Amino acid sequence: MSAATSTFMSGRLGLDRKRLRSIALGAIPFLLLLGVWQLNTYMGWLKPVYIPPLGSVVGAVFTLQEDCPGPWGALTMRESCLFTNHLLSSLGRVGLGLLVGIPLGIGLGVLAGMSRRLGHAMEPVGVFANAISGIAWVPLAIVWFGVGWLTTLFILLNTIFWLVFFNTLLGVRGVPRTYEHSVLTLGGNRWHIISQVYIPGALPSIVTGVRMGIGFGWRALIAAEMIGGNSGLGFMIFVSAGEYKVEEVFLGVLLIGIIWMATDRGLVWRPS
Amino acid sequence: MTIASAPASSSRRGPRPLRLHRFLHRGGMELACVLLGGLALWALLSQVIPRPDRYLPSPGTVVYSSFDMLWKGLLPDFIWNTIWRLLIGSGLGLLLGIPFGILLGLNRTVSEMFYPILNFFQSIAGIALLPIVMIWWGSSEQTVIFVILYTCLFPIAFNVLIGVRSIPRIYVNAMRTLGASRLRIVRDVILPGALPSIATGVRLGIGFGWRAVIAGEMLAGQRGLGWMIFTAQQVDLTAQVILGMALIGILWVTLDRYLLRPLEADTIQRWGLVQR
Repeated sequence: MSAATSTFMSGRLGLDRKRLRSIALGAIPFLLLLGVWQLNTYMGWLKPVYIPPLGSVVGAVFTLQEDCPGPWGALTMRESCLFTNHLLSSLGRVGLGLLVGIPLGIGLGVLAGMSRRLGHAMEPVGVFANAISGIAWVPLAIVWFGVGWLTTLFILLNTIFWLVFFNTLLGVRGVPRTYEHSVLTLGGNRWHIISQVYIPGALPSIVTGVRMGIGFGWRALIAAEMIGGNSGLGFMIFVSAGEYKVEEVFLGVLLIGIIWMATDRGLVWRPS
Repeated sequence: MTIASAPASSSRRGPRPLRLHRFLHRGGMELACVLLGGLALWALLSQVIPRPDRYLPSPGTVVYSSFDMLWKGLLPDFIWNTIWRLLIGSGLGLLLGIPFGILLGLNRTVSEMFYPILNFFQSIAGIALLPIVMIWWGSSEQTVIFVILYTCLFPIAFNVLIGVRSIPRIYVNAMRTLGASRLRIVRDVILPGALPSIATGVRLGIGFGWRAVIAGEMLAGQRGLGWMIFTAQQVDLTAQVILGMALIGILWVTLDRYLLRPLEADTIQRWGLVQR
């Protein structure tokens, strides 16, 4: 890969000229889009019901946050702080899902991958579980847990767990047996094999699994919040759409994009 | 090549024992145990818990509900609707996404310019856009197909762009030195060179699209598998919900294993530039 492409794809900090240039270039389509959007408001091509004015989208933050008693109230999730409550409840679920789902997926994945035969046996199970994970579980989760926090968390956990589990399993299985044997020859025990051979060996695959888990999980979470939730960004846009508050919908959609980009940027694994 | 074809010809002579042997050797017994154990656990749980009809119907009930729906002719109808929607949506996504990605990838400055915005639109899940589209067009077929199209389009365009960028400049320069026109460079270097990335993008896009179909049917109320499990939940037919989930899983595994994955693997093998 040439030098230009590698800086263009890497996100290293430090503002050299190339990076500044790529930021400036990347901003052009965004600015153009915003310009067309603003122009639409002035010229009135599409009604505000379909495309709300840019100002009202920004204003929606303040409308939603109107009765909020300051930043402390927002942080403690007072009922009146609508906007921050939805935001924090989505983010909190993602955090909790990752905190529980990743260790669980890695742990069970390594355990299943340690036995070659069990590893082979669990592979189709993982494939199938991944195929239904996410949105298809929502109706059943509603039956089990009712509409609310638990359902959405279950959907997210389900999606993250199976992807991490499956990729860890594949990664552990791909580690050459020679390494395992050499550690055994040198007097290592089972724990040594796990911590020094399996986990480092499977790490690239695990990171892929985590990244995919967050990608699919975030999408599933938004859908789950719409159908089976009572808080969160997905819920916010769904309810606002029902009330034809288009500016709130746009606000939610933009935020979903921005949050996801920020998460992914911190996670993209760059082999160097 | 000869090594690869040897097992194929020997398996033609005696496919059954060989395949069975390989299946058993690669954890077939364990898989059977896991599956049977899972089914037994499920059956046991459904006996123990109160109101199994509502919370966890037994496997038998689920299978029975499929007979019931088959007999009424609903099931094939739902499956067909869902697949048809996926085909139209992702087909349109491919038709638009591939040329779009190639056009943007042709020029280095242009591709650098559009990379962030494509990433941004890829990050907004199509399902998040559904409420907006519902305001535009209401709960119609058009809405669901638009959401699938949107969901497919960006992963595909994004991957095609990356694929075009990853082609070594030497190949393009070599063609240019030999006096090739722009069109020829696109046809003979860029298109084949980007094919592996295109295949990956297609698989990813259709994968996201499949989930979007299910969610879109639920929210926009169009008849299909997603709609089936959603409405079955509302009237407490949990057996139908589980049946729908199983079908969604089976359909996707079949599509992925027997169409998309081989397509991707073959494309990478035939046109991939990475030397292994």
